[in-house]
Amino acid sequence: MTYTFDEWFVVTLARTISDREVVFHGFGSPCAQVAMHVAKRTHAPDMLLIEGAMYAVNPNPPFIPPTGNDSSLKQGAAYSMKFEEFFDAAIRGDVDRMFLSGGQIDAYGNTNVTAVGPLEKPKVKLGGGGGGCNISATIGQLTLWTTRHRSGRTLVDKCDFITDIGHVTPAGNRAELGYTGGGPQWMVTELGVFDYDSEGRARLIEVFSDVDVDTVREATGFEFTTAADVKTVASPTCAELAIVRGIDPLGVRKSEFDPAELTRTYDHVHDPGCNC
Amino acid sequence: MIFLDPDKRVDLATAASHIGDGALLALGGGLSSRLPMALVRELVRQGRTGLHVVGSAHSMDVDLLVAAGALSICEESYVGFEQDLGLAPAYRRAAESGTITLRESCCVTILTQLRAAEMGLPFLPVRGIKGTDMRRLHPEYAETTCPFTGEVLVAVPPLIPDAALIHAPLGDLHGNLYLDKPYVLDERFAGASRAVIATVDRIVSTDELVEYGITIPAHYVQAVAEVPFGAHPASSYPNYAYDRDHMGVYVKAASKPESAAQYIEEWVMLPDGEDGYRAKLGEESLQRLTTWSESTETWKGLFA
Repeated sequence: MTYTFDEWFVVTLARTISDREVVFHGFGSPCAQVAMHVAKRTHAPDMLLIEGAMYAVNPNPPFIPPTGNDSSLKQGAAYSMKFEEFFDAAIRGDVDRMFLSGGQIDAYGNTNVTAVGPLEKPKVKLGGGGGGCNISATIGQLTLWTTRHRSGRTLVDKCDFITDIGHVTPAGNRAELGYTGGGPQWMVTELGVFDYDSEGRARLIEVFSDVDVDTVREATGFEFTTAADVKTVASPTCAELAIVRGIDPLGVRKSEFDPAELTRTYDHVHDPGCNC
Repeated sequence: MIFLDPDKRVDLATAASHIGDGALLALGGGLSSRLPMALVRELVRQGRTGLHVVGSAHSMDVDLLVAAGALSICEESYVGFEQDLGLAPAYRRAAESGTITLRESCCVTILTQLRAAEMGLPFLPVRGIKGTDMRRLHPEYAETTCPFTGEVLVAVPPLIPDAALIHAPLGDLHGNLYLDKPYVLDERFAGASRAVIATVDRIVSTDELVEYGITIPAHYVQAVAEVPFGAHPASSYPNYAYDRDHMGVYVKAASKPESAAQYIEEWVMLPDGEDGYRAKLGEESLQRLTTWSESTETWKGLFA
């Protein structure tokens, strides 16, 4: 059996979720959305899955639609929160994890989804941050992701605008700002996986099997350290792959990738971790 | 404000006439769901200018107002077509050339400002914003020190829209509205705004509406117009799913000023307004959007 990169990427995101966490993704985030359903159906059955933009609690959608607030996404949910119910939970600290991306991401995990270039005359006006600005301060842990690392424009030395906060901003760190959330814990890109060191800077810990550390360095606009032993990202199990394909038959997750990334294909090798 | 007339029913042109040039408008719904598209199209037909919009995550409603030159200030938390159809073309072009004022905000900040308005308070604090660049877009924010803990928080003023434009699947003659979740900010908009101007796919009896449940009560509503498919190409569940194909047609057209203008001429500036719009879309394509509940395959097929 073979699998494609988008499937491996989604499974890698799913593995950043722990069981019994309250987890949320924002709109326009199909990879994170699929990942949450993969986690819920594998290693995190008792997570509280809050479907972004629908605020449905533990839904069982028949498929992932190409928009974040189609009613298919609340099917099987006994309850859907109101908008303010979710955001209140997030700002008082009752949400454990959120997935967050950005057009620009710096070494501390600050993200820009507002504008590239000068604010008065942006080079690119990005869509905007939804609710991320406030809730990135108070949610327990953040899983950052980007599918555009290789472009060289995404992981930058300095964000042109900080929409959502990481570990350290020019105005101070989280403790100095009075923020209760833990900030970015992981960053998954189409090249590898980073964690964050004691100073709040991204540190490369894993690369995908067809990527080397030099490729990651060339694509990254900030200096980063690496783990003593940079490992290969663990491959997906048959069970995880089957769930990805089952929950996302329309392949909505693929819309996040440059077409070239979708040609990355791998042979599935049975290992002790795979119970297929 | 409170509206006491027992019968709020008007036609769409009259409903839109309550909105003046330069009005501060709250746009109901979000992304691809329950956008007040018929009202947006009617405002364009009536040549409204200088509008200031506020809300959470929106798409074609805002972009069409920008493309038509009706919008001056945008205070939405997001404008775009998600990963599927990408950045909002007219909005992006206007923002990059400086023809609209960017006052992008955050869902939580907007919610807090609406709550201040609902409670008649001069401000409320939020815990976030510090450390971000959001105050560069909002010089009106201030800081306040908690009298109990000494914590310094960002203070935001009340937000009182001149009108909230809300589309609902069902309503009654008094202006009571039933919404399907997600309500997004619509209940807060109703409480904070000076008036709710509503469109509904269908007016039903109050008894029937009560069976569904009333989400927004009539006393907030100044006018209600019955406009079938009034959210199109956004969804209005349980009546119809969103029209992804038509959103695609719009996004493609909006990518250039000339084709954007042509879209507006062809799809908005129709002499018989919304009747003409529905006729142009055709009975068959509209009915197709109502088939979502037949089976999973049918539903999924609408988006394939």
